[in-house]
Parts: sequence; structure tokens; C-alpha cells
Amino acid sequence: MGLSSLTSRAMIRRILHTTTTTRSHNFSLIRSIVSTPELNNTASAAAEPTPDPPAPPPRPPVNNARVHFPNPEDAIEVFVDGYAVKIPKGFTVLQACEVAGVDIPRFCYHSRLSIAGNCRMCLVEVEKSPKPVASCAMPALPGMKIKTDTPIAKKAREGVMEFLLMNHPLDCPICDQGGECDLQDQSMAFGSDRGRFTETKRAVVDKNLGPLVKTVMTRCIQCTRCVRFASEVAGTEDLGMLGRGSGEEIGTYVEKLMTSELSGNVIDICPVGALTSKPFAFKARNWELKPTESIDVTDAVGSNIRIDSRGPEVMRIIPRLNEDVNEEWISDKTRFCYDGLKRQRLNDPMIRGSDGRFKAVSWRDALDVIAEVMHKVKPEEIVGVAGKLSDAESMMALKDFMNKMGSNNVWCEGNGGQPQADLRSGYLLNTGIADLENADVFLLIGTQPRVEATMVNARIRKAVRANHAKVGYIGPAAEFNYDHEHLGTGPQTLQELAKGSHSFFSALKNAKKPAIVVGAGLFEREDKDAILSIVETIAKSANVIRPDWNGLNVLLLNAAQAAALDLGLVPESDKSIESAKFLYLMGADDINLDKVPSDAFVVYQGHHGDQSVYRANVILPASAFSEKEGTYANTEGRTQQTLPAVPTVGDARDDWKIIRALSETAGISLPYDSLIDIRERMRTVAPNLLSMEEREPATYSTLIKPEVKKEIDPAPFKAAIENFYMTDAITRASKIMAQCSSQLLKK
Amino acid sequence: MATSLQRAGLRLTHLSRSALISTKYSSQADALVESRTGEIGVVAGIPEEHLRRRVVIYSPARVATQQGAGKVGKWKINFLSTQKWENPLMGWTSTGDPYANVGESALTFNSEEDAKAFAERHGWQYEVKKRHTPLLKPKAYADNFKWKGPPMQES
Ligand code: SF4
Ligand code: FES
Repeated sequence: MGLSSLTSRAMIRRILHTTTTTRSHNFSLIRSIVSTPELNNTASAAAEPTPDPPAPPPRPPVNNARVHFPNPEDAIEVFVDGYAVKIPKGFTVLQACEVAGVDIPRFCYHSRLSIAGNCRMCLVEVEKSPKPVASCAMPALPGMKIKTDTPIAKKAREGVMEFLLMNHPLDCPICDQGGECDLQDQSMAFGSDRGRFTETKRAVVDKNLGPLVKTVMTRCIQCTRCVRFASEVAGTEDLGMLGRGSGEEIGTYVEKLMTSELSGNVIDICPVGALTSKPFAFKARNWELKPTESIDVTDAVGSNIRIDSRGPEVMRIIPRLNEDVNEEWISDKTRFCYDGLKRQRLNDPMIRGSDGRFKAVSWRDALDVIAEVMHKVKPEEIVGVAGKLSDAESMMALKDFMNKMGSNNVWCEGNGGQPQADLRSGYLLNTGIADLENADVFLLIGTQPRVEATMVNARIRKAVRANHAKVGYIGPAAEFNYDHEHLGTGPQTLQELAKGSHSFFSALKNAKKPAIVVGAGLFEREDKDAILSIVETIAKSANVIRPDWNGLNVLLLNAAQAAALDLGLVPESDKSIESAKFLYLMGADDINLDKVPSDAFVVYQGHHGDQSVYRANVILPASAFSEKEGTYANTEGRTQQTLPAVPTVGDARDDWKIIRALSETAGISLPYDSLIDIRERMRTVAPNLLSMEEREPATYSTLIKPEVKKEIDPAPFKAAIENFYMTDAITRASKIMAQCSSQLLKK
Repeated sequence: MATSLQRAGLRLTHLSRSALISTKYSSQADALVESRTGEIGVVAGIPEEHLRRRVVIYSPARVATQQGAGKVGKWKINFLSTQKWENPLMGWTSTGDPYANVGESALTFNSEEDAKAFAERHGWQYEVKKRHTPLLKPKAYADNFKWKGPPMQES
């Protein structure tokens, strides 16, 4: 921001001033609260000539932002500090400054929320404007000459800062925001070393917003970001502003918990320490943390996260920008599941003895026992199941290992008995998460995106808010945070829609960009082929799939699902569990083990002592997503990778390494011994899993699939997720998630 | 913002550092001896196992908790180092990896190319993560007062 030059300029002026004028000599004893003495000499400030041929700005845009020109003819030119920038019409002055590479200080403005314009920190000087203008709320006009580091702008911001600090407690040493606080940083540039406020500071009663968000409301600077976030993005009109003047408070009016699955994001957007993370409170200072940029695996969205660790411990998880996936938000489950990584971990290989108790053994012994049993059973009786958190590498290894043992019964939980894996478009969110924003009619079939994929739900909500998209929903009664039409609960409604007799059908047909979203919960139904084919009929007759728009989507539930189907983890027979003599569970905790014959030998390889451990004969400890490098494909087919942030617990190993070691003990070594080799192997099976961070859209449309002739079961659809906060081994082990489900869901 | 003060200083140090590096190595290209991939490590006496490492080159995202962009746009090397353990007596963290604290706190590059060149010189196998940038879209204060259709029903 050129502040250094500004201050030095000011200093030189001050010296000149004190030496030349005799009157100001007296003043120099009393240091003024404003550090811009040029203001006494207004002529010098105004007479700054702008360079004649407008030069392009010397800096790249702030955050290296890309500029979206909706209409290339509508570009206008403005001048920021003398440099010309081209911006689309409709940008604000603040955005123009960002394009010019000038970061404007701000509190209330947030690029993903509406503009409030109430903090006044972003004041800049605009030529021919009598007063400084709030840049965040002022539209940029062609030819505008914006000056961001003039003494007037600086003085104005210093004035704002003084007012803000008047009632802000001196909490920084005990505040969790300290070190990553916008107010703290900006007061370094615009704050004074003293205040003129002599009364006592106000105090505000803290509000109870539930188990996730800690409030210290005295620190609030009334920027209303949290209020806007709650009503615009989260869709729960819980927070509001009460009172006026110095009695102004943020609160819920009547004491109420914040019941949103996105509530954790207010911790990030609060520019001060008024809203901080309750589980993280006083656990660590943020400058001690080591950041690792990784991917979330608690749902199929694959939100981009940053895992902050200290030593061998994950301390917190915060979102990371990715415009195509999660923008800058993450769900509460993603953010707060991390304490589950420290609980109920398996740390040694164990074998169940004859007395039914587990005994810790060495890796060699455990693998020997498994290899011996494996060679005794018939190949068709060997079954492998990958869990919902498995990465692509270990699923590849599991499949290759099972195939080498002669069995083809390997699948991933959540994909149902006979998943359809031939056409990628049949199991992906073909529209893409970011493009869902543009849709104008949604038909949700058996899916409640709010609990199944919170970030996808945020996009749908955005579409409802911005384009007044219509949402039709078929499924059990559910809570939505936007307007929707409950069309029915089961397949009958689908049949009506297919016949075109339903009133919603015309809305779908007339839509410019219709989107049908089928929930992956339907994969578990017996009649899923019939249901999917009827959905296709609807898609065909409503013309949902067009050359430039593919509106037929499947919303997956788990992180592993898409990659498992890409790799072809499809069981040979759907009755394999009933006849299994050897069952290999790679982190599979949600499959029904009741049907497993009692004489079957069950190996559980995973990171948590969860449901399947009760039935296991041998336990092999594996590493969790925060401890390994793994490839995941999200529900729209985007390949992303986790990176290890912390060491594994105890004697645990990466999943694929365990399988590789076991294959050697069993005498059929898999032909890869490094992550690079295994990825080369994946390239031959599913090359899309190697194009990192890219979304490989499905090429075939579902319309060429053969007709299915199967009866539809009229039973209504069931909810795929019962408890949003507890869906997998990690979240079930988490204490915070347990608190959430007891306090927020009353479960 | 405070970062801008810092930035000016940082830029200086970076300049001098990159200038140092470039003069050293570009002059080497014309010199009699040419440095080959990984040779720098051998000359420096770095142990064998650290000469062939896998690293990830990435550009750290802006911290979601803050709006300032002073630190955004740098490139870093992640050494994928997790060999850490807690001392059972004192609870201190120890590591067996000399690079454990290098990537995060000590190495910063101004561009992807610089980071790649550095990794290549040390003979590390690298992977570059795509940098994500925000997308600026027009927005206006007046949108607050736009007619947004009939009010939402109570749900
Ligand atoms: S609590 Fe934080 S985000 Fe909300 S108004 Fe106060 S300062 Fe702003
Ligand atoms: S950022 Fe412009 S008024 Fe708050």
C-alpha cells in the first residue's frame, strides 16, 4: 500500500515543518494523534500531478485475482494512484483498487457477502469528490481518479480506527484471534499509540451460539459480516443486530443456538476475535501452527482445507480458497471433526485370541496369519470391501490384490450391490459444483443436499437467491434452508413426472438450465436401475441434457465413491458377503456384517476402532487422511490429493503399503512399491485420477444406456444420512461432533 | 496494512537472495564447470537419503481468517515431512528429518519457476500444486435494495 513511503514522507514533512514555522514549534511538544501533518498544508496534497500517459499498474491484482468480464464491451477504465486499470462495468471502487494491486483496508466488506458499507475503513480519495468515499460501496465510474494513499485517506482511516479502538478491549494477548486479526494488523498501520477516549469501555454480554462458536461480544466491531453470512450463505436468519449506538449488539435476540451446518465459517469471517472457535479456544496460538494444504474426506465434495498442526497433533482445520469447489467455506463437520483423529485410534496390529480378546502382535505375525488363512479358502469366498474414506491408491492395491488371489468380489461401501460403473456420467455430478449456481430449476430426487453435501447445498441456495431458481424435492420430509416444493416421497411422483402429468414437469421442461440431482442413497435400493432409468426418461423428455449443459447429476455421499467406481470396484455377485469365508475390510465400517457367516475370517484394516472391529479377527492399523498422501475424486469427478500433515499414530501404516506387504507375505507380490509406481498402475485403469486438481467431465451421456426392465418398488425414499455430524469412523470418534449432535440435533 | 511495511522489507531480502542465486548459477553456466541436477547437494555433503526426496511445490492460500493479501503469491516447498514424535517424558516434539522445518518457515520463492529450479538443483522429485485464485465479479451496494421477488416462505 505504499505505506512505508507515506510514513517516511510524513516524517520528512514534519521535520521541515517544525524547523521552518515558528508557530508549529509549540505544537511539536504535543504530539498530535494524527500522523499526517501535511493536512495543515492542504495545497501540497492536492497539487500532486498524475503522470500523463496512463501506465499499467506495476503490481498484479490482489490475491492474483482473475477478473470476470460478463460483457467485454462493458469495460471501463479508471485510474488508481495514477495507473490505469480496465475493469468491467459494475465494479466497486474497492474492486478496481484490487485489480490495480492495491489492497484496501476493510472490516465490513467481504467479497462473498453483500456490501454493507458500515465500517468506513475503506475510505479513499476520489478526485473531484468533496469527501473521502467508502470504496467498497461506491461504484467505479469511467475515468474516475482514485487515490488510495493520500494524507486525506490516511487521516480518514486513522479517524475510523480511533473510533473502533475506543470500545475494543485490549485483549490481544489472551485472544485467540491474536496474530491473525484484521483489526490488529490494520491498527499497526492506522492506529495511534494513545486514545482520546477517557470514559470506560463498554461491555457486552457474551452470547451462547452453541458448541462450536465461542463469543466474546465485547470485542465485536459491528461489521455485521456474521449477520450477513448467516442470512445470505447459511440461510438461517439467526443472528441480527440489536440496539443502537454504543448499545449495539450482535445476537440472536432470544437465546438460541446457531443451528446451521455452516456456522463455523463465522469464525473465519469475523475480522476480530468476537467469534472464535470453541473447541480450539486457548489450545494454541496460530503462529505455532504448521499449515498443510489438503483435502477434506468427510463428504464427497472434497472441500479444500488447510490442516494446521502443532507437533504430532492436528490443532484445527480451516478452509482454503477454491472457486470451483467450496469457494471459501467449509461445513462444520469438515472443520471440527479433527478431534476424532486423536480418539479411538488403532495403533498396533492385533489378533483375536481364542478367548475373544485382542492381543497386540507384530506386523509380521499378523500378516502371516492372514496370508495363511487366505490360502486356505476358495478364491470365490474371498471378499474385499473398501471403506468410505479410502484413497484411490489403496483401492487400486486392494483390487489388484484380490484379483491376484483369484477373487473378483471387491467393492466400496455406499455404492450398493451392483453399481453401474461403465459410464462415468452415470455416477457423477455432471453439471459441476460451480455451474449448479447457474441452474434455474432443480429437481432433487431422494437427496437432501443440506446434510449430504453441504457445499453443494450452498450453491443451490445461491442459485435460489440469485436467480430465483425453483427447487422440487422428492423424498422424506426434510429441512431445507431455501424455498422448495415438496413434490412427493417416493417413486410414484417420479412416474408422474415421467408421464408429464405432474405440474412440476412443465417447470423443468421450460427451464433454461434445469438440473436433476439424484441422491446416492438410492444406490442401496433394490430397484435402483429402474429408478435411474425413469430419471433418465424424465431427463430426456424435459431436455435436461443439451450439448452445452448436462443437467443430469448424481450426488455422491462419500469421498471414496467416485474413485472406486472409476477404478472399477464392482463385485462379481451381490450375494458375496453371505458366502464369504474371508472378508477383508479396508476401513469399511458402515456395511452390514450381520450376514457374514460366523466361521468367516474377518480382517479389519483401518484407523479407528469403530463398528467393524467388533467382528474382526485381525486388526491392521492404518493411517487417517491427515497422515497420508492419497488421491480422491469428488462427486463432480475432480481429482484432488491429501497431503500428510502429522505423523501416523503408533505402528500404523498407509493402506496401500499394508496391502503391498500382505501380498508379499501371501507370495503374490504386487508389482509396485512406491506411490509413483502405484499411480502409474492407476493410469492404466483410470487416467483421469492422475490429472490433479482437474475435473474430467464424463464424456458419454447417459442417454445411450440400454433400457432396464425392472419393477419399481413403490416404497418411499429414505434419508441417506440420519445424523449430519456423525457419518464415518472419524466423526463418530469425535467428541465435538457428539456434542453437536446432542445439542443441535437433539440426538 | 502492516503487511505492506513488511512487504517492502521482504521484497528487498528476496531481491537480494534471488540476485545472489541467479548471479551464482547463471555465471556458473558460462563457467568451466556446469552444475548438474542434484550436484549441489552432493557438493554440500547432504546425506544420500535427502538427495532423493519427493517434495510438493505450492503457493499458500490466503488464510481464511484474514483479508490482507500481503503474504499471498509466494511459492513454498512442502517436504512431506511427518517424522515427528513427542518426547514421552517432557512432551516436546522431536523430529528425525533435517528438512522438517525448512519448507514452511525458511524457503520462500517469488515464482513457481524459482521453486522448481531450486528443487531441480537439489535433485528432488517435485510435484507442483495448482494455485487457486479468486474470481472478481461485479457487485453493487444497490443490490441490497433490489426487489428480490416475493419473500421466502416459512420453512
Ligand atoms: S461478531 Fe465479528 S463478524 Fe459479527 S459483527 Fe461483530 S465483529 Fe463483525
Ligand atoms: S469496508 Fe467499506 S465501509 Fe466497511
